[in-house]
Formats: sequence, C-alpha cells, structure tokens
Amino acid sequence: MKPAPTLSAAFLESAGQSLPKALLDLRKQRGTALVDMPLPTRKTENWKYSSKYLKLTDEMASSLPSQGKALTGQEVPGYRIVFLNGVIQPEASKFPQADGIRIASFRDLDDQEAAELADQLDNTLDDKAVQLARLNAARFEDGLLIRLKPDAVLDQPLFVIHEVTADASGSAFPRIFIDAGRHSQATLVEEYRSSGSEPVMVNTVTEFQLADGANITNLRLTMEGENVQHIGATGVRQQRNARFESHTVGFGGPLRRHDLQVRLEGEGGECKLNGVVVTQGKQHYDNHTTIEHVAAHCNSEETYRNIAADQSHAVFNGRIHIHQDAQKSNADMNNKNLLLSNGAEIDTKPELEIYADDVKCAHGATIGQLDEISLFYLVSRGIARREANVLLTMAFINELVEQIPLETVRETAHTRLNQFFDQTFQEV
Amino acid sequence: MLSIKNLHASVEGKEILKGINLEIKAGEVHAIMGPNGSGKSTLSQVLAGNEAFEVTEGEVTLNGENLLDLETEERAREGIFLAFQYPVEIPGVSNLQFLRTAVNAMRTHRGEEEMNAAEFMKLAKEVSKQVDLDPSFLKRGVNEGFSGGEKKRNEIMQALLLQPKLAILDETDSGLDIDALKVVSDGVNALRSEDRAILMVTHYQRLLNHIVPDYVHVLAGGRIIKSGGRELALELEEKGYGWLGIKDEETADSAAN
Ligand SMILES: Nc1ncnc2c1ncn2[C@@H]1O[C@H](COP(=O)(O)OP(=O)(O)OP(=O)(O)O)[C@@H](O)[C@H]1O
Ligand SMILES: [Mg+2]
Repeated sequence: MKPAPTLSAAFLESAGQSLPKALLDLRKQRGTALVDMPLPTRKTENWKYSSKYLKLTDEMASSLPSQGKALTGQEVPGYRIVFLNGVIQPEASKFPQADGIRIASFRDLDDQEAAELADQLDNTLDDKAVQLARLNAARFEDGLLIRLKPDAVLDQPLFVIHEVTADASGSAFPRIFIDAGRHSQATLVEEYRSSGSEPVMVNTVTEFQLADGANITNLRLTMEGENVQHIGATGVRQQRNARFESHTVGFGGPLRRHDLQVRLEGEGGECKLNGVVVTQGKQHYDNHTTIEHVAAHCNSEETYRNIAADQSHAVFNGRIHIHQDAQKSNADMNNKNLLLSNGAEIDTKPELEIYADDVKCAHGATIGQLDEISLFYLVSRGIARREANVLLTMAFINELVEQIPLETVRETAHTRLNQFFDQTFQEV
Repeated sequence: MLSIKNLHASVEGKEILKGINLEIKAGEVHAIMGPNGSGKSTLSQVLAGNEAFEVTEGEVTLNGENLLDLETEERAREGIFLAFQYPVEIPGVSNLQFLRTAVNAMRTHRGEEEMNAAEFMKLAKEVSKQVDLDPSFLKRGVNEGFSGGEKKRNEIMQALLLQPKLAILDETDSGLDIDALKVVSDGVNALRSEDRAILMVTHYQRLLNHIVPDYVHVLAGGRIIKSGGRELALELEEKGYGWLGIKDEETADSAAN
C-alpha cells in the first residue's frame, strides 16, 4: 500500500525573520508539530469531498514576496489595512487611532506585547479539525493584532484587504487576532483578492476572543482568482453575553476551504452565521462550520446557501455540538442549495451532537433546482428568460445579501454576482 | 385576432386537447365553461406557451402570426396575457420588482424607455388602488402568503399594467367574495376595448352578469361541444352539463373550488 502523503518538508522551511522573538519561537514550535503531517485524502472524513482539489507543489512552498505594488488604492468607508502576500503594507493602510483600541502589525509589537500575544494565539481552533490551516501558525510572517479595551467601540468598520500577487508560484499566510474586551464593539471586513495567474495558496487564520458582552461582526468576501487555492480558518470563543455575527460571501476557485468554529463558552452568548457561496465552471467551495454550545442559555443561528452552476462542486458541513451542561440551548441551522446545472454537485451534511436534554435544535438542508413553474410565470409576463433566471436565483440568496450590514460590501457582492449571472445565464 | 384550428395537446403522453377550434376577434369577449378536468386550463396554458404541454397537431395564429413558434416571453410581448388559475408564489422576488421588470420588458419591446423606480411606483400604486389591493402588497414577495382573492386581484393588476391584446383569464372569479368579484370584474371591464379580446374560463354565471360575454363555449373532453351567446351560460346554470350528454358527477356544480 502506498504510504499516505505527508506535507512536504519544503512547506516547513523557515520563513522571514521580521517578527518579535516570542512570535518566532511560537512559529517554530508550531512548525515542529507539523513534521510529517499527513495530508487530507479521500479517506479523511472532513476532506472527503475536497481532497481531490488540493494541489500543493513544492514551488508553492515558498513565500510570495512581501513587497510590491498593492492593487488597492481602493477607497473604503472606514479604516483600511492592506496585507500584500501576508504582510501588512503600512503605506497602503489607514490604522485607527483611538483610546482603548490598539491595532498594530505583529512586526511592530514590543517584546512584552509579543509575548502576551504568543500566549493567546492559536487557542480558538480545533487542531484536529482544521489540519491544513495549522500551517499558518508555522509560516505567518506578519499579522494584525486588534485589542479592544473594555467598552471600546471602533467607530467605523475595519476593512482588511488580503491581496496576493500571483506572478510566481508561492503562498501567503496572513493572520488576524482580535481580543475584544468586555462590551467592546467592532466590525471587521476581510476581503480576499488576487492578481496574477500562477498557482498559489492563501492560507489564512482569523481568531476572535470575545470577553463578556463583546459584540463583533465579521464580514468575509472570498474573491480570489482561478489560480488561488484558499485555505482559511476562523476561530471564535465567546464569553458571557457576547455576540458574534458573520456574513460570508464566497466565490469558488480551484480549491476554497473555510473552517468556521465558534465556541459559546459563557451563558447568554449568541452567534449568527450567514453564508452565500457561488460556484461555476469547474470551481469548488467547501464550508465546514462548527458551533459548540458549551454553556447554557446560548443561541446560535446559521444560514448557508450554495449555488452551483456548470460542473462546479460545493460542500457544506455544519456541525452543532451541544455539551452536557448547555441546557436551554437554542440552535437553528439551515442550509439550502441550488443546482443550476445537471453537471453541478452539492454535498451537504448537518451533524448534530446533543448531550443536554433541555434544548431546542432545528436543522434543515435541501437541494433543488430553479422552479419551472415560477420560471414560466415570470416569462409569461414578457420577462426575458435570462432575467427570470436571475430573479429566481437572486431570490434564493437575497435575504442573506440584504442582511449584510455594510452597503459597500453588498455592492461588491452584487457586482460579482452579476458577473456570475452573465457567465451562467446566456441571453436567448 | 386569435385563430385556433384543430388544436391537439398532450401532457405526459396523455392527450388532453382533442381538436379545439376557436376564432376570437378584436373587441370580443368569449367565455369558456366546462366540467373539471375538461382541458380549460390546458388550453390556457398552451396558448401562453407552457412547455409542459406538447402541441401534437393543429395551429394557432395571433393576428396572422404563428403563435406556436414563439417562446412564452415573445407571446407575452406580442400581447398574450394569462391570468393563472393558481398564481405562483415566488418568495424572495418582490411584487414591485416583478411588476416593474415585466412592464419594462414590454416597454423595451415596444421601443419605449424603461420606467425608473419612482415613476413605476406611482403607476403601481394607482393600479393597486384600482384592484383594491393595499400598496403594501407591492413590497411583499410575489403572491407570497396572499389569500386566494388577493392573488386573483394581483393577476388583474398585472393585466392592467401590461395592457395585453388578448387576456386569458383562467377562473379569475373563483374564490372571490361578492366585493372582490365586483373589483375584479370592474378591472376586466376596464380592459375591454375594441382592439383587445378577452377569453375567460369560468364555472359561474355570476361573473357573466358583470362581464357580459359575446360568446359562450362549452369545453368537454378536450373539445368544444357547444357554442352560443350569453344565454347558453344561463341555460347551463339552470340545467347543468347533463343535457349536453356529459356525466353528472363531472358538472361544474360539483367543482371543488
Ligand atoms: N402537468 C400535468 N400532468 C398530468 N396531467 C395533467 C397535467 N396538467 C393537467 N393534467 C390533466 O389534464 C386534464 C385537464 O386538466 P385542466 O387543468 O386543463 O382541466 P380544467 O378544465 O382546467 O379543470 P378545472 O375546472 O378543475 O380547473 C386533467 O385530467 C388533468 O389531470
Ligand atoms: Mg382549470
């Protein structure tokens, strides 16, 4: 029998050294743990639909250059941090300056701050479940630290633009860590984009620690090119009465994987996870989410919609784990899927593990096609077939798009969706 | 205006229409009555272009043009309008957006400029008043959660907005209370004009008191077995379909609407 493939040693070669010592030490330690890490295969349960899309070459092991011209002169209605190939570009960024708020590049931390951060990093994700995203901790060359003191409110949304320039093969490992103090509030937008056409990997990790009553909104737009494999993980830990809301809008690629793991660890916590994923051509997208109800009296609400056209392939795996002490948990998970062609594939799997007896837990998953009768009704009013298709497809996701709390993000989503419609629904 | 000759149509291999002949001229109102399952909705859907039904024989022309060659949306743009017996609910598409898209598709077809959101809103509010639907229905999903009567009024509202040449009304009177029946018939009467024709499918004479037809046809077993003036409807009301040689249990009075 062929031995299971392991992560090539090339991926663990030491990267740039421009970080404070405590973080370099952490990176090294995390790297050591990954020696001979088996790569996911068809037999790896949480990668079974996606492992065939993973293509890691040794060329991809090198870090993409940390300097260059960022595409983005993009104006945003808020603060802006630009990562270029995993490294923050201060000139292209606009950092907030306010009392009670510390937002800085990992590279700019003093020894004490770095040591404190090193203790906190990598504490939100389940190592066994995220596999490849662990590579980020072994390879990050920079990161964004966001510390909100108790009661601090970030007055405008913070846009983090993650850009990769794929002029040569390689990888980028951006990282964000948010420590949200008691009753602090912020909105963080992550936008992933790319230029160039060589095969590259973006391996990105975002971690949230929410203290009592903190209220954080996270928007995530995945829009890289057809040459970019995206492996992302988001870890969230919520204490008493903390609220976390996430809105994901994702467009497919050769490989798109996002693990979103939320732990409700204090009573009264609440999370709302929305996702819209669109794939076409031979694209792929795989969302794996986990909500852990650890404490009692928490609410979770999750709504994901996949739309797959052509020969594309979307995967949704939603796990809800209600721990024994998590009485009075309220968990609601809903995943609806729309196939726009016979060649497209969608795999959906809700996983419920419930160990408490007094809980409310609802889940539903459906896979369907556009309704012929609705389509006929629309065209019988003179509406063009293409337009009717667009109306019905939008109807499938409109509710989620409308819930995105920032207009610019909604607009970006609409623009990209229109491109998708142009390519998917031909004029007749 | 509309000429149907020897029209045969089937669904899933089963022949439903078995040779329909019908001539409708501009300005005329025709009523089609007939027992449940006789093919009235099938005829309506075939005229509108529903591909679930296969036309196996015959021809249909609209003002001399072969209707059967046209796609559904082209038929609509040429002036065919079907008020559905069971209007479709489309959650997620607002009624307003739907109506505006339809009106603008027609305007574009006629070489007119599209209406912007504000202009259309004004028009839509007027027309919704005309069919006694609160403007709040414009914001809701298309027919989503509308009552039976509200759906029918929404159909008439569409007819009023789209100003078709041939309006086919499939049981638009079913499920309406007296007041709604009045509203709907007023709407239909407002559509009546010299250059427009109306084909209405109904089970009830009461509608024909409000909208007086020029001709009444009885459709049974996929064929028009009798045609006459409005007095035919009164006769049917009185005697049922039995005297025409149709089984009693198939009569309109047993129709569960
Ligand atoms: N999609 C379909 N698949 C199978 N059979 C169908 C379909 N649509 C209609 N039929 C059948 O065709 C026949 C005619 O149906 P149609 O709806 O035209 O009757 P109708 O005259 O409109 O009746 P009603 O008065 O009840 O509305 C019925 O036997 C019906 O079951
Ligand atoms: Mg019918």
